[in-house]
Amino acid sequence: MNRPVLQLEKLGKTYTLGKRTVPALSNLNLTVTAGEFVAIMGPSGSGKTTLLNMIGCIDKPTSGQILIDGVDVTDLPENQLYKIRRDKMGFIFQTFNLLPYLNARENVELPMEGRIKSKTERTERASKLLALVGLSGREEHRPQRLSAGEQQRVAIARALANDPAIILADEPTGNLDSQNKQGIIKLLANLNAMQGTTVIMVTHDGEAAHHAERMMLLRDGKIIREKPGTHALKKNMYAPAAGTPSN
Amino acid sequence: MRALLVIIALGFALAILVSIPAGVVANQQAASRITSTLGNTITQTEQALNQTLNQITCSLAPSFGGFGFTGSGSSGSRPSGGFGGSGSGGYGGYGGFGGFGGGSVAGEFGAGAFGGGRANPMNETLYSNINTSISGVAAVEPILQVSEGKNETVSFYGHSFTRLVPQYIIEGVPLTSNLVDNYPILPTDIVSGQNLQAGQTGDILLSQNNSAYFGVGVGGTVNILGTNFNVVGIYQPTGVEDTEMLYMNLSDAQTLTNNTGYITSINVYAQSPSDVSSVASAIGSLHPELTVSTAQNELSALEKNQPSSNNAVTAAQDSLASTNSTAIEEIIVVVAATSLIVLFVMLYTVRERTKEIGTLKAIGFSNSTVMSQFMLEGVLLSAIAGVVGIAIGVVAAPRLASLLLPTVGRAVGFGGAPGFGLASTVTVSPELILIGFGVAILLGTLGSLYPAWRAAKIKPAEAMRYE
Repeated sequence: MNRPVLQLEKLGKTYTLGKRTVPALSNLNLTVTAGEFVAIMGPSGSGKTTLLNMIGCIDKPTSGQILIDGVDVTDLPENQLYKIRRDKMGFIFQTFNLLPYLNARENVELPMEGRIKSKTERTERASKLLALVGLSGREEHRPQRLSAGEQQRVAIARALANDPAIILADEPTGNLDSQNKQGIIKLLANLNAMQGTTVIMVTHDGEAAHHAERMMLLRDGKIIREKPGTHALKKNMYAPAAGTPSN
Repeated sequence: MRALLVIIALGFALAILVSIPAGVVANQQAASRITSTLGNTITQTEQALNQTLNQITCSLAPSFGGFGFTGSGSSGSRPSGGFGGSGSGGYGGYGGFGGFGGGSVAGEFGAGAFGGGRANPMNETLYSNINTSISGVAAVEPILQVSEGKNETVSFYGHSFTRLVPQYIIEGVPLTSNLVDNYPILPTDIVSGQNLQAGQTGDILLSQNNSAYFGVGVGGTVNILGTNFNVVGIYQPTGVEDTEMLYMNLSDAQTLTNNTGYITSINVYAQSPSDVSSVASAIGSLHPELTVSTAQNELSALEKNQPSSNNAVTAAQDSLASTNSTAIEEIIVVVAATSLIVLFVMLYTVRERTKEIGTLKAIGFSNSTVMSQFMLEGVLLSAIAGVVGIAIGVVAAPRLASLLLPTVGRAVGFGGAPGFGLASTVTVSPELILIGFGVAILLGTLGSLYPAWRAAKIKPAEAMRYE
């Protein structure tokens, strides 16, 4: 069995709105092993984004534990957490969140800045990653000169910049038309199959979720159902050596 | 676009910031110049008057010379009309208040500058009785003063006028041993060579300006109206003498200028200062056509003038003090305004880019990296504005300073009149440029400190929800 890259134990989060406390997550347990493609679905307000923020170390739980790559990050201070985010996580956002005044390559280089000293090394790696997501030749384009699908590809390349343990995708297809939607989901599935990248994706989109290995349904801060997605069945089509991460 | 507007606004603030100290420096210079100019003038005139307390100056009442038309007869001799239109030919006025008005003998070109009068020639023999029939008179010094220069033709309402631009003034004084030895008829401050001696003819004493004008020094010869003179000495004017005045024997001057038997004024020396007023009134009744003035008149006029000069000095100093306090207030306001502009612009920028900051933090930027990023941005903005501001300041400092600061000359009532040479030009010195740039960077740093800290404290989870 593969090593776990994410372990959530009895995770709870409550928000305080005035005098009322609103539970967002309660007593949630989840283990994701390296190389898995997990889709989390659920209606609005079910706690999907809260969960993703906990996993991404940009929000803190009120109770329970989070282990990433075996490291307990629950009580890490901010000056340690940013390194976890930088080195272990790759974020993909619904609205892409590229920096408009940087070109595609520079956007991909951003997360490497604190980690890779050599500028040429960063540039080379960014170009390679852009090639991997199918954007060879568009390195110098600014976001406004790229289509929505292309922008999301740049964001995926950026998420891969530091070879993270987990890719966290928050509604990655939410702002795309159906053709681009297909492309992005296939790209994520491919990366998962070929590179062994662990992907945790939050989505409304049932069709997209079906490409995952595991689908889980979140309601009122709890996982109420889990089933295998179609990707699990097709995985052999993408990667003959399924389950063995290539890096 | 917004950055451009901000840079222009900040630039103007910083331009004001460099213009104010430049204005203060200029005002300080103006004030000290007013103080020293008035101080010197009064001291010099006082000294001069004390030398001549026994002296009474008599001349024919000056009449306005008018402007003779070209073509009227000229004999080439043009007795001077004295100073400031007073016609007395006396004491050099008060340090140059009032222009020099050249005059001319009757029938000559009206050489008087606007407002200048001319001295009428006096027949020397008519006035010999001053020495003999008035008691209390110690000595009499007849003087012939003639201005020489270039005729300048001016066109005025279609008519051509000629006026004299004086280049030197011939002062003919009687070189008798009594006068030379006992009375202040000659300059005292000889800087090279020696003074004129009793009985000398064919010799000349030049002022420094004369020496430069003729290009001749002690021992050389100078040709005055066709006659050669030996230069025996060069003097430095002390405030009593006109700077263009050359001295020679009266008889030489009369021959030279074709004025034999004529003079332009008489200095009468009383036996003692207490005799001056009785002698003066005796001269007045003997020769009612003469204008008689005494050094005592001049002294009392000077004394009347003293308080107003003192007032001017005090006003200059008061005005300087108020300039300084205004400058300090304005600098405080501008510094505060500049920091506030940076503060609000940067706060707005941070707010506007909340999502971007959240993204940067989510993909692994540390708080300190985010903070330094925004600090750098604020400092860069201020640095560019600093360059713009200094550029504006260098060009517009005089205007800005006069808009923002009370001006010393204005308070004193001189209004920086160019004739007085008292107004100082406002210039932005290299030191001030460096200081201005330093202040721009400093204010940029201070103003962006809080916004950058706010940026660093943004929680990425909340920032993501921010649209």
